[in-house]
Amino acid sequence: MNHFQLPPLLHAGGLLPFLTMVGKPLEDGDVTIDFSQLRRVVPASMVSLAAMVHLWEKQGRKVRFSGISECQILGYLQRMDLLKSCGVTLKELFQRHDARGRFFPVKAVSQPIEAMAQEVANCLAPGGEEYDHPLSGLFDTIAYVLTEVGNNIRQHSSGVGFAAAQVNRQEGLIRMAFADNGMGILKSFQTVAAPWSIDATDSDAIAKALQPRISCKAGEPNEGVGLTLVAELVSMMKGSLLVVSGKGVARIYRDGLRAFEELPEGASYRGTLVAMSFPENAASRYAELLHNAKVKAGILQPGRGRATFEP
Amino acid sequence: MSSTHTVGLSEDCGVILADGTKALAYRHAQIDPYVDICEKVTLDFSGVRSANSSFMNALISGLLEHHGEAVLEKLVFKGCKPAVAVLVESAIELGIRKSGGRVPA
Repeated sequence: MNHFQLPPLLHAGGLLPFLTMVGKPLEDGDVTIDFSQLRRVVPASMVSLAAMVHLWEKQGRKVRFSGISECQILGYLQRMDLLKSCGVTLKELFQRHDARGRFFPVKAVSQPIEAMAQEVANCLAPGGEEYDHPLSGLFDTIAYVLTEVGNNIRQHSSGVGFAAAQVNRQEGLIRMAFADNGMGILKSFQTVAAPWSIDATDSDAIAKALQPRISCKAGEPNEGVGLTLVAELVSMMKGSLLVVSGKGVARIYRDGLRAFEELPEGASYRGTLVAMSFPENAASRYAELLHNAKVKAGILQPGRGRATFEP
Repeated sequence: MSSTHTVGLSEDCGVILADGTKALAYRHAQIDPYVDICEKVTLDFSGVRSANSSFMNALISGLLEHHGEAVLEKLVFKGCKPAVAVLVESAIELGIRKSGGRVPA
């Protein structure tokens, strides 16, 4: 039997200890997750928990949820569809209000990625679908991030993935997170026999995935710029990014500093987690951000336009 | 040689362009066959709200890779919003790099 007591704070500071806890080798048998002390969660902890629950169930383990009635944020977890995404249905003692402009609940990355991008972007940037709307840049940024990371989950992971997001008006921050329970970035490179990957670590693989034109599926239609540009966009907006895959952990801080480390105690996260936060208002000049991100990544040279455009 | 072949991306692929696999199939079916028989090939992005690098690279850089850099003289990109224009230019640079200045047969 494997018993996981969720800590009170599953936010930025509590995330890696949580991933370390669930990333250790399990004993045979079922899994129990105790929610009784949980008081705060962020999208990253919710999507990674959902991905783990689905992995354990796929392994034939029964997953039990205990302490739910004592959990102080039960209503929030229900409204964020965390329990529902884990297959738990409870009576809701609250009225569901419109999520637009506030959050996007935990949802499997399973529908066509364009439809999911439209749904999430409309939810987090209501009105932004209209090009002249003040939230138009935020709409574009969210759609870009979601489609690129979502494509990675669908094309490379061979696992089940989840997405969730939150708008924190007090901090003026958008938080987005994606987690899958697939093969992870290193194994994804190894399956296409990338020569450098034979002796590489998980952190090496994440670092490679953050470089331009490194793809797990060489050639058309993949050019290996998806995660690279997401990282550059987040950096341009003075946001932060966390990537966890296997034992590897990569962080990009708000000042642009990048750091790579390993999960402690031999833990290994099965799959890949990509989590980010960025200031809501920084996304307003999306086209300029995208241009600068491409220039910084070395995949666009300014002033060398070759295309013929017509209005 | 007939004059212009025009494809409407929003009508054919939707207002959000995000899937490189779809872009590749679209290019093979709707663009490649016309490059050698038309003077101009217009890719009309009017109505496209959002796109990503995966789609645009598969659509455009592959065109340069397969038909050579000279194909740029035939291609017209219509109705691009500023962010879509950035993706077009970036995909062209990628295509030029991959084609290595190759001259088509």
